[in-house]
Amino acid sequence: MFDLLFLGFGEILNLKILLVLFIGVVVGVIAGLIPGFTVAMAIVLTLPLTFGMEPVTGIAAMIGVFVGGMSGGLISAALLGIPGTPSSVATTFDAYPMAKKGQPGKALSIGIWASFLSSIVSLFILVTIAPQVSQFALKFGPWEMFALICLALTIIASVTGDSIIKGLIAGLFGLLISTVGADPIMGFARFTFDLDVLRAGIPFLVVLIGMFAISRLMQSLEKSQLEKDRLERLNEDASEMKFTLKPFQSLKKVISKPMTLIGSSVIGSIIGAIPGAGGSIANIVAYDQAKKWSKEPNKFGTGCEEGVVASEAGNNSTVGGDLIPTVALGIPGSAVTAVLLSALMVHGITPGPLLIVDEPNIVGGIFVAFFIASLAMLITQFAGMRVFVKITQVPTHILVPIILVLCVVGTFVLNNRTTDLYILLAMGIIGYLFTKYKYALAPAIIGVILGPIAELNLRRAFMTDPDWTLFLSRPISLTFLVLTVLSILFTIWQTINAKKKAQV
Amino acid sequence: MGELIVAIALVVLSILIYTQTDDLPSMNESQLDAGSFPQFVAILLGGLSLILAIKQIIVLVKARQQNSETSIKEQLLYIVKEHQLVFITLALLFLYILAIQILGFILSSIIFMIITALVIGPRTKKSIVTVSSIAVILTLSLYFFFQNVLQVRFPTGIFF
Repeated sequence: MFDLLFLGFGEILNLKILLVLFIGVVVGVIAGLIPGFTVAMAIVLTLPLTFGMEPVTGIAAMIGVFVGGMSGGLISAALLGIPGTPSSVATTFDAYPMAKKGQPGKALSIGIWASFLSSIVSLFILVTIAPQVSQFALKFGPWEMFALICLALTIIASVTGDSIIKGLIAGLFGLLISTVGADPIMGFARFTFDLDVLRAGIPFLVVLIGMFAISRLMQSLEKSQLEKDRLERLNEDASEMKFTLKPFQSLKKVISKPMTLIGSSVIGSIIGAIPGAGGSIANIVAYDQAKKWSKEPNKFGTGCEEGVVASEAGNNSTVGGDLIPTVALGIPGSAVTAVLLSALMVHGITPGPLLIVDEPNIVGGIFVAFFIASLAMLITQFAGMRVFVKITQVPTHILVPIILVLCVVGTFVLNNRTTDLYILLAMGIIGYLFTKYKYALAPAIIGVILGPIAELNLRRAFMTDPDWTLFLSRPISLTFLVLTVLSILFTIWQTINAKKKAQV
Repeated sequence: MGELIVAIALVVLSILIYTQTDDLPSMNESQLDAGSFPQFVAILLGGLSLILAIKQIIVLVKARQQNSETSIKEQLLYIVKEHQLVFITLALLFLYILAIQILGFILSSIIFMIITALVIGPRTKKSIVTVSSIAVILTLSLYFFFQNVLQVRFPTGIFF
C-alpha cells in the first residue's frame, strides 16, 4: 500500500504536473460554481486538452477538475441558495440560512474544511480498500467479469432515474451504441447502415459530450428554465456580499464535530463506490443521516454547523469511493470516472484488475493526485474566494454558445474527423430526449464504456468453453448474477411499497 | 404520448438491430460470433421497451377515460413555445457543423457564437459588443492553443 503512495509521490511531485493539477482544480471550482455547468461537463471538455500530455499528467489534470468541481458547488449553494451542481443540493439547506443570518464567511469556510477533511478520509478508504479488491478480482475469469458488469449495470439502473425499467433500457441502449463499428474480436464492421459516419464506430467521448454537455445546455434553454433562472438572478447578487473567511477558527469548529465529519465521509465513500450513485445522492443521504443521529435535529435547516459539515463531507468523499471500482476493477461508478478510464485507454493503458499490478505508478499517481488536488482545492478556495464569487453569474446566453463551441472543438480534436460532429449532434438530441422523458443518462454512458468489455469477456468465456452453465456453476459468477437479479427485484419491491404508502 | 413514441421507437430499433445481425459473418455453432452479443442486447432492449410501451398505453387509456379536454392543438402550441430556443439552437448547431467544413473553423465559430448568444439573450448594443469580443478571443485562443500545443489542424475552409 505504501509503495503505491511512494511511487505516486515520485510521479506527481514535478513542477509541471503540480501546475497542471492546480489549474485543473481552479477550472473545476469554476465549473462547480456556475449553475448550469456541471462537473461532468467540465471533465469531458478537459479530456481533449490532455491528449498531448503524459498519462499521469493528464490524469492529474482531470482529478484536479473532479475534486475542485465537487467543492465548487458550495459557493453558489451557500451564497445564493442555488446548488451550483446537483451534488450540492443539501448544502443549500444549512449553508444558505447560515449565510443569510449574516455569517456567509463562516458557512463557506466550514464547507471548505469539511470538503477537504472528508476527501482525506475517503482517500484513506480508497488506498486501503482498492488494492484488496483488485487482489480479489485477479481471480476473475471472463465469466466473472461478464457477471460483474451485468451487476454493475443493473445497480446503476436501479439507483438512477425514474424507474428501473427505464434505467435498464438506458443501459442496454448504451450497450447497443458500443456495438456499432468493428467488433472487438474479429473486426467485422457492424450496424454501419452503409453510412460513412458510422464506419469507425461511435466514439465513447462523443457520446459523453453529446449526452452530458449538449443535452444539459438544451435543458437550460427551455422557456420555463430560463424564466426560473432569471428570477433567481434578480433575487440575489453574490458579488455584492461581504464576508470574511476565518480559516483557523472554522477548522476548529469542523474538527470539534468528528462524528459528523467521519460518519458523513464514510457514507459518501460507500455511496461513491456504488456504480451510478454519486455526489448528488451522497450529499442528501449524508445530510439526512447526520440529522437522524444528531441530538438536536430541530436545528438542521436553520443554519447549523453540522448540516454544512455533513452535506459537504458527503459529496466530496464520493470522489475517493468512486475511484475504488474504477481503479480496482476497471468499472467506473460515474460519468466522471468513465472519462478518467477512457483517458487511460487513449494512452494505451487497459483498465481492469491488473491495473495496480501492471501500472503501479499510474495508480499511485491517481492516489497522490487526489491528495494534492484536495490540498490545492483548500488553498484556492480560501485564497480565491473573492474572485470566484464574482463569476457565479455568467448569463445563460453567454455560457451556452461558449460551451457548444468547446463541445465541437473537443469532439473534433479526438479523431480529427468532421463526421464525428454529426454523431455529436445526434447524441445531444438523443440525450436531451432521454432527460426529457426521465431516462437516466448515467446507465447509458456506463453501458457505452462497459459494452466492449462485456462483449469481449462473454465471447472469451464461450471460446474457452462453450458450456454456458459455467456462468452459474462458478461460485463468484453465480453470486454476481444472483445479486443482479436481487437488485432488480429489490427495486421493484421498493417501488410497489412506495406506491402502496402513497395510496394509504 | 411522447413516452409511448420513445418506447415504440426503441422497440423498432431493437428489431432493426436484431435483423441486421443476420448479415454478419458467423464462425461456427459453438462460438459466439460478431452478431450474438448485439442480438442478446437487442432482445432484452426490445422486451423491456415493449413492456414500457404497454404500460404507457394503459396509462393513456385511463387518462382518456377521466378527462381529455386539453386539445392536441393546445398541447402542440405549448411544446413549441416551451422548446422554441432549443429547436433554434440545435438548428444553429447543425448549420455551424456544416459551416466549419465550408467557412473553416475560425470564421464559423465566431459567427455561431455571436448569433446564438443574440438569439438566446438580449439584443442590446452592450451585449453585442461583449459577445463579439468573447467570441473572437475564445475562438482565436482555442485555435492557436490546439494548433501549436497539440498540433491539431482545424478545417480551414475556402477562405484561408
